[in-house]
Amino acid sequence: MTDALLELRGIDKHFPGVLALKDAQFDVRRGEVHALIGENGAGKSTLIKIISGVYQPDKGEIWLDGEPVAFSNPRESHSAGIATIYQELGLYPELSVAENIFMGHAPKTKRFGFETIDWEAMERSATALLADLNIDNLDVGAKVGALNVGNRQRVEIAKALSLDAQILIMDEPTAALTESDVEQLFSIVRLLRERGVSIIYISHRLNEVFELADRVTVLRDGEYIGTQAVPETSEAELISMMVGRTIENLFPKQAATIGDVVLEARNLHHPPLTRDVSFSVRAGEIVGLAGLVGSGRSETAQVIFGVLPAESGEIWLNGAYVKITRPSEAVNHGIGYVPEDRGHQGLIREMTIRENTSMAVLESVSKRSFISRAKERALANGAIRQLSIRATGPDQITNKLSGGNQQKVVVSKWLASKPSLLIMDEPTRGIDVGAKAEIHRLMSRLAAEDGLAILMISSELPEILAMSDRILVMREGRLVGEFKREEATQEMIAHAMMGASATANSVGAVV
Amino acid sequence: MQAEKSKPRNPTVSEKLRHLLISQEGVLFIIMLASVLFLATRTDKFLTVDNLLQQGRFMAEVGLIAIPMTYIIITGGIDLSVGSILGLTAIVLGWTWQELGFPLELAIITGIISGTVAGFVNGLFIVRVGVPPLIMTLATLALYRGLAEGISQARSARGYPEWFFQLGQGELLGIPTQLWLLIIAVVIFAIVLARTRLGRALYAIGNNETGARFSGLTVNRHLLFIYTFSGFMSAVAGYIFVSRVSTTRSDMGTGIELDVIAAVVLGGTSIFGGTGSIPGTIIGVVLIQLLKNGLVLTGVTSDATIVVIGSVLIFAILVNNFIQRKRDES
Repeated sequence: MTDALLELRGIDKHFPGVLALKDAQFDVRRGEVHALIGENGAGKSTLIKIISGVYQPDKGEIWLDGEPVAFSNPRESHSAGIATIYQELGLYPELSVAENIFMGHAPKTKRFGFETIDWEAMERSATALLADLNIDNLDVGAKVGALNVGNRQRVEIAKALSLDAQILIMDEPTAALTESDVEQLFSIVRLLRERGVSIIYISHRLNEVFELADRVTVLRDGEYIGTQAVPETSEAELISMMVGRTIENLFPKQAATIGDVVLEARNLHHPPLTRDVSFSVRAGEIVGLAGLVGSGRSETAQVIFGVLPAESGEIWLNGAYVKITRPSEAVNHGIGYVPEDRGHQGLIREMTIRENTSMAVLESVSKRSFISRAKERALANGAIRQLSIRATGPDQITNKLSGGNQQKVVVSKWLASKPSLLIMDEPTRGIDVGAKAEIHRLMSRLAAEDGLAILMISSELPEILAMSDRILVMREGRLVGEFKREEATQEMIAHAMMGASATANSVGAVV
Repeated sequence: MQAEKSKPRNPTVSEKLRHLLISQEGVLFIIMLASVLFLATRTDKFLTVDNLLQQGRFMAEVGLIAIPMTYIIITGGIDLSVGSILGLTAIVLGWTWQELGFPLELAIITGIISGTVAGFVNGLFIVRVGVPPLIMTLATLALYRGLAEGISQARSARGYPEWFFQLGQGELLGIPTQLWLLIIAVVIFAIVLARTRLGRALYAIGNNETGARFSGLTVNRHLLFIYTFSGFMSAVAGYIFVSRVSTTRSDMGTGIELDVIAAVVLGGTSIFGGTGSIPGTIIGVVLIQLLKNGLVLTGVTSDATIVVIGSVLIFAILVNNFIQRKRDES
């Protein structure tokens, strides 16, 4: 531990009612990639916010380069050479790439006796910085708002390096990236490591840890569990460290009796992302809908749910033709939709668990349009028990819950509506391993025991393969493949997703 | 963050009281009491039953419009056209009665229907065409006022029969008639907002409109309703206005939207939507009205009065923010 560039010892951090970190420790060596993992709510974010000066620890020491330090705000941590790249990127969309990189420290020149920004020097240095990262396809004069997420992230990295950062903190950097952007990010991270930059890498994806990191530290419930050298550990070991128990079966799938057709979609059309789509889902069946990002999976779900009403085509539910032109009609017909964007579409985050779970069934918890708080509370308490939501009670604001628990609230909202069809769009994205297994178990049980028809959209092929009775594949708004559970393999699905022109390489990247 | 396991228990009476006192409305109420006590020490004309009832008469119009305005601001919208709708209603009432020869009862109904339709038109454009509420109602602020002026041709209607003044100038059991109306409306619509599905939907829409839509709430129908409701309440306020001042002019209600919005925001409704309550709004209405009146009675000039009211507004909002932040931390 003597060669550590940054070291944290015995860190405690309290928030009202919660001990977020308890005697936590962490260290980074020069030129290493150190992964920080743990379930949501394990204290990862709190720890990096302490390193970057957003929070101050209640107890404990921080040593940087052999000196004790205390950061009272992000600026101090910044000037000590620590830069953070957050999930929500902190860029100015209306400004150019160069302006963003040099925000706050633009090169100056004297013109007519006034100090002004030296635009040429700024563009030159920006180009040089990007070239240094082997990025040569980015126009430094382009507006950041016009860039895709991957390029915006590269701008953030360049910005951090323009400040001579020695330690770079990356908080779930691949969460919103496409596969090719991920590859490019990895090569940048490796390049920086060779140059002696230390990288703290937070991720939910264990395969990234194994691909990229030198060491990995696990936190659980605010406590330090351990640090392992990556070559000496295994995925199973890390998972058991994270959840404190071994998960034997990550994808528990119960055998279910497949019943009658619940949903039948006939030639649904809402261009550009839903073109002539026909398929069916039966009672007790989990149908997986696979496809690349932008292939039209969510849009098709939203056509069925009435967010994007079909321009032509028919929806049949339980043998009857139904007309769905808005979500409220879909809900009345017994369709539930757990959307992809939990915080924006799934929950009203400022409201309580109680108010969220009753949101789709307000009619049934009210009498003559007066809401019964008692009925609501009973409903919420039932959900908390049934889905083991970790919360202080039904009146907790959902924003304060971890991602997995928030997702459980969304699911409970739809279960309360007693649907016959439940559409789940990326049901386990961004939630931790433990909650993920719980959601999978719940899906299995709902299909097998309650005969619920489930349409599951997922970008994770292992999830699709393990959970689905039948797999549909979409590409460019069309259904391009259908596979039975027994016959499907990752290769077949990936191949269908990519289309005929796909190379063996890119298939591997999707898997 | 890990949630602490703690047994829920019923709060004691003193805890409930404490909770009430440091609530948004509680803080405002204390500021109001302090202002009243202060003004009462300055002049003996202020804290009299007659004066307070008289002030109740004056605040009815702002108060009635502030109810739907609270609903609208909770959804994250705004209605700037309420003053113009008030004026339009007054003119339609006077014009249909005096120029078209409608019976006065029918003229009143026609006026109120016009105002309601004006609000409905606002809502229709906001919901169907997707015009932002600020832009739409800014446009109709001008449009409805223009209509009123066009219809009235700068003539004012007067000479109403005696019974017509009952609402604006009369009393019922010693209390101004329109104050009864305000009290009843406040009680009903406070309960509607706090306890019914409609109220819940409004808060949901204000916090996250997409989330509300994705939960199957009929967002558009709710929005259409509240803008129509706003038109209706502005129209009722227009009728009261005419009845109170005995005449109809096309500039009636000019600028009242700012008084209404000030009261709503002072009452703790967030201009960004999602939070707010009718009791808060009403305390805001009362506080502003009593300050105006009390300062005039203590001999403060009218321009200085505006300055003092502005300062009290800022002070109240600062104190409230401070206390709410402390409360969230603890």
